[in-house]
Formats: sequence, C-alpha cells, structure tokens
Amino acid sequence: MLKQILAMTWKDLKVFSKDRGGLVLIFAQPFMFILIMSYALSGVFRSGDRPIQILAANQDKGTQAASILRQLGELEGFAVETTWEGQTLTRQRAEQLIVAGKRNLALIFPPDFSEVLEQGLATAERRTTKIQLIVDPTTSSQFVEPILGTLQGLLERTAYTAMIPKGVDYLFNSLAPQTPAPERENLRAKAEKAISGGRTPAVTVEQSAPAGMRVNKSPDVFQQNVPGYTIYGIFWIVSLLAVSVLREKREGTFRRLLAAPMGRTVMLAGKLMPYYLINLVQITIMLGVSSLLFKMSLGHSPAGLVIVSLAAAATATGLGVLVAALARTEAQIGGLTVLLLLSLSAIGGCFVPRFIMPSWLRIAGLVTPHAWALDAYQDLLVRGYNFAEVLPKVGVLGAFAVAFFGIGVWRFRFE
Amino acid sequence: MSSAAVEVNGLVKRYGDRVAVNGVNLSILEGEIFGLLGPNGAGKTTTISILATLLIPDNGEITICGYKLQQEAKRVKPLIGLVPQELALYPTLSAWDNLAFFGRIYGLQGANLKERITTVLALVGLSDRASDIVQTFSGGMKRRLNIAAGLIHQPRILFLDEPTVGVDPQSRNFIFEHVERMNQEGMTIIYTTHYMEEAERLCDRVAIMDQGRVLALDTTKGLIDMLGGGIIYLVLSQSSPESLLPDVRAQSHVRMAVEEEGRLKIETTNARRALLEVIQLCNARNVSILSLEMREPNLESVFLHLTGKRLRD
Repeated sequence: MLKQILAMTWKDLKVFSKDRGGLVLIFAQPFMFILIMSYALSGVFRSGDRPIQILAANQDKGTQAASILRQLGELEGFAVETTWEGQTLTRQRAEQLIVAGKRNLALIFPPDFSEVLEQGLATAERRTTKIQLIVDPTTSSQFVEPILGTLQGLLERTAYTAMIPKGVDYLFNSLAPQTPAPERENLRAKAEKAISGGRTPAVTVEQSAPAGMRVNKSPDVFQQNVPGYTIYGIFWIVSLLAVSVLREKREGTFRRLLAAPMGRTVMLAGKLMPYYLINLVQITIMLGVSSLLFKMSLGHSPAGLVIVSLAAAATATGLGVLVAALARTEAQIGGLTVLLLLSLSAIGGCFVPRFIMPSWLRIAGLVTPHAWALDAYQDLLVRGYNFAEVLPKVGVLGAFAVAFFGIGVWRFRFE
Repeated sequence: MSSAAVEVNGLVKRYGDRVAVNGVNLSILEGEIFGLLGPNGAGKTTTISILATLLIPDNGEITICGYKLQQEAKRVKPLIGLVPQELALYPTLSAWDNLAFFGRIYGLQGANLKERITTVLALVGLSDRASDIVQTFSGGMKRRLNIAAGLIHQPRILFLDEPTVGVDPQSRNFIFEHVERMNQEGMTIIYTTHYMEEAERLCDRVAIMDQGRVLALDTTKGLIDMLGGGIIYLVLSQSSPESLLPDVRAQSHVRMAVEEEGRLKIETTNARRALLEVIQLCNARNVSILSLEMREPNLESVFLHLTGKRLRD
C-alpha cells in the first residue's frame, strides 16, 4: 500500500516538475505578490476613511486624562472608547479585547496622571508617570506611529497648560525686586530650562503588548505580507490537484489505476501526497527566502512553524480533493478555484489585515481556513507564541482538512 | 482452450433510466480471443469496464479465473490487464517512466521491474524510444505503449478496448500481430471493436452487441453462416413488389424475402444462384430491375440482419 502511494507520489512530482505553468503558479506567483504588495504598501497600513478606534482605560483620579481623551476623540480620524458593552473599561478588559482581536490599541492612564502633570516646578523631588499604549503586535508600526505622535502632541499641550501658570507663579515669587542681577539671570535660566523640556518630561508614553503576548520587535511589512501571501499561494494547490485528477480521468490513466490492485482510499492518498509535499516545500521556500532576503523574524518556535505548516498544507490539499470531487471540467475548476481562493484569501486577511476590516467581516473571516492559518503564523512570527499556544488554531485547521477531505471522498466519482 | 476464464450471467448496468447493459451472458474460454462487436453505445465498454472492476454492476454474477468478481476483486485485479480506449499514459513522462510507474502500482520493483519494462518495450517495438517523452510519439507508437502498459504485470486476461481507434493501417497491423502473439503465448484476450474486419481477423468467437444486449454469440464463421449465402437488395420497376414476393420465396436458393423500404430484401443460401433465379423470374414477369445490390455475408451483414442498421450508424 505504502509503495503504491510512494509510486503515485513520485510519478506526480515528476509530472509536476515538467509543468512550467504549475511551477509559476505555485512558487513565483505568491512571491511576486509578496514583493510587489510589500514594497507598494510599505507605508500604507491605514484604516482609510474609518476612524482609528482606541480603547481607553482611565484610572486617573484627576481631570487631565479625561481632557486628553476628549481632545483625542474630537480629532478627525480617531474614535475613543472608554466603555465596552455599557461598562467602564479597565486595563484587564482592554487587554482581553485586544487578545480577542476586537480592537488593536488601548491607552491606559495611570491613577496619578493629573497629580504628576500638575506638580509645581518648585517640587523638590520631581515625579514622573507613564501612559501605557497597548498594541496588538500584529499591528503595523506605520499604523501605530501616527497615533504615538498625536498622543505626544496632546500630552505636551496639556502639560504646558497645566504647568506654565505654576511656573509663572514660581518665577514671580522667586524674582523679588531687590534680587541682584546675577541671581536674576540664574533664576531665568532655571525657568527656561524647566519649561523648554531640559528636564525629563513628567509624562511619557510607553508602548507594550497585552499581558501574555511576547514580542521581539514590531512587525514589519514582510511579517504582514509573507504569511498572508504564503497562505494565499499554498491554496493554489487546489487548482493543480483538481486539474491533475480531472486529467487522469479524461486521459484514461484513472481507469487504469482503478483496475490495478489498489484501494480507492490508497489511490486518493497517492494523489494527494505529492501535492501535500509540494505545499510543504512551498511554505519552506517562502518563509526561508523571506527570512534570508528580508531578514524577517521566524519567531521562537520552529516546532510551532512545522505543525502550523503541516496543518495549513493538509487543509489546502483537502480543499483540492473537494474541488476535484465537485468540478466536472477544467473550466469549472478554473472558475471555482479563482472564486474560492480569491474570496477566502480576501476575507481571511491574506491581502488586507483583518484588524482594519469592519467587525462583521472580521467575524466572517473566521469561516475561512486562511484566517486561522494566518493567525497561527502571526502568533508565531509576530506575537512570539510557542508550540502549545498555537495548537488550538492547528486543531481548527485540522478540522477544516478533515471536513474538506471527508466531503471530497464522499462526493468523489470514481466511476 | 478449455475452462472458462470469464463467466458472466445476467449482467445489468443502469445509468439513471438508461440501461447500458441489459442481461448479458457470456462464457469466455481460457486462451481465446473473444470479440465484443457493436456500434458506439452498444454497451461494450461498459461491459468491459465491469469485468475490469472499474464499474459496479447493478445485477448479475461474474466469475473471473474462478474468483467471484464482486466478492474477490482483490484476487482478480492482479490477473487482469486493461488497455483503455483512451491513451492512458502520462504524456510528459518518458515511455520507461510510464511503464515503471504502472509496474510499481502492480508491486513490481528492482531487477524484476526493469526486466519487465525491457520485455514489453521490445514486444511493442519501442526499445529504442524508451527514454523519449511520450508526447513526442506518433499516434501508433502511443497506442503500442498503451498496450505495453497493460502487459507490464503479465496478466492472464487482457481487456483491449477499441485499441486501434485513430491508428494508421501500418500500426494497426502491428497491433494485430502483437495480439495474436500474446494469444499464442496463452493469454486470454477480450477485444472490443466496432470494426467488423478486426473481429473477423482476430477473434475466435464474437458476441454482437447492440443497445446493451448480446444479439448473437458464436464463432465468426458460425455468425456468418446465420445468413447463409448472402443478401440481395433489388429495386424493381413495379410499384408494388409485394405481388412478386410469393414467387421469389419459392425459388430454390432463396431462404427468405421481404419488402423493405420499397426494395426487395432476399436472404439466400447461395447469392449468385439465387440472383440468377430472381432475374429469370423478373424477365418472365416483364419486371425491370432498376438497381441491384448483392452483399457477400460478413459480420457487417450479420449485424445489419440482426438490427436493421449498419455497425457504424
């Protein structure tokens, strides 16, 4: 049985190696997409006309944080959410929402925010505090940087508004008319230095990931595009596998195989195996070349990458069996694969990150294996997850593969 | 030739409402070349596909080399070889790679596989083209390689489904010689065709099929003898030839005469003598013969006699 599967695998790999169109489709096409789309869109991971939605957990006991949030919300292109489903947001809830993929940004204002901002210049021990900007690690830096800039600007404006009156008081109190000129000069210099930022700012913004998510660095455009287009690319095996089965049927080799002492399951397994191997080679080349050429991080878990790749390839080849079972002509296969693969890839986030899609489309994406495979790869490449942490998504991909293969075998017309 | 290689009883196969094979009974002897002759759509390929385990019948019992096909297909499969009507080859692979693949599927490997590939390539005269890609072959060469692929595992029974379709006369003769040689070596061959010349030349016995049924089964000679001495078709000047029928039937070399589409159809025991008798009768009755067609008996005329239509209709 195994020898028959190996014989069919070897034969189909030989046939595939001579199919230039197939080689271009499987290897060159996704790479071309990665290169063109990555360079073309390297600075454009924007949300378009939709406002950037920012969660805000305001722990501030004063009024300054609320003022900043109000100003941020009034700016065009930003929408601030301080509540979720009628409840005031906490840091924990905001982090949960980011982990669940509902939002990808959250601002956490500390309890002493106003107190620190309003402290006098004369304070002996100058206090500082930090606003936490929690970011889903898959969010492009091109998306985050403008938010950081805007926030910094608002902070500085608020800081000056809060601090300058106290500084002026301080200067009046200090500069008595009888003060000699050298001391006057000395005090002026101190005030200028204090206001111009010569000292450490009282409030800074610190970017971090939600609790439990490890990040080695911010994702770059290749970490966004390489997994996306790799998944898009591996699913083109559907077309090759289905066309190969149809040709075997049309050219009569399928009849010859049916007459041979070989079970039908073995026959289908033999038909599936070479394309599964091609998928694995494809993934290895995509990730390997991207790592070497574009210095893309492959995360911390090689075993995780292997298991996700095995599951993604199984899903793609399983879908190939299903399409081979349903389509009767090459034209049908062409139409069905283009429709299926482009739709699934688009909804699944291979072309456009899912976090910038409307929520209904993000939910719709979960019915595609592409979304689960992409999430699993980004868990490993970007979020720094380990083997065990991607297993649930691998399980979902496995379920897709079993369903596709099972329905495919059930509907397959051997006669 | 002695025991039955293939026994078929009451074979039925339906596709929806259409009955492709309708109660076929066959008994094919070991070592014979058995022909299934009939026009396209007669049920030949469906019958052969069932015997080669490709299709599951709706009814009937099949025994091949003593094994019940439906229950013991695994035992039957290594004993049979199939040469489908299509060129069932991988065009982008070499002849050697094609045969190596089909050999491995049948469990051949190593030196045994190489030896079998070498043997069958020599048998079909393609030894010098072993490493060439199949898509560079001529139609006849592809047909020969198609046969070689069916022989790679040395089957006891070979099913050849219309193996000469689209083949030039030279390659056709080459294929005939192969078939005869394989048969001389003891292989049972079941040969489907709609060319009556092929059936006449190659087959020990022929089953004539039409619309899913076996209409007649006998040796070629036995089938032709059904018609006696041939058929004569006459178009007469007389507008109603029926009046002449009793006298025509009374002639000593006429077996049967009917009016068919304005013509007289006369089945004879000896066509030439019957023709003389009918001409004399027409002269005596002052009836002119406007046209005359005399058919020497062959499988084509047997088929025409049985179905009222030509094999290639």
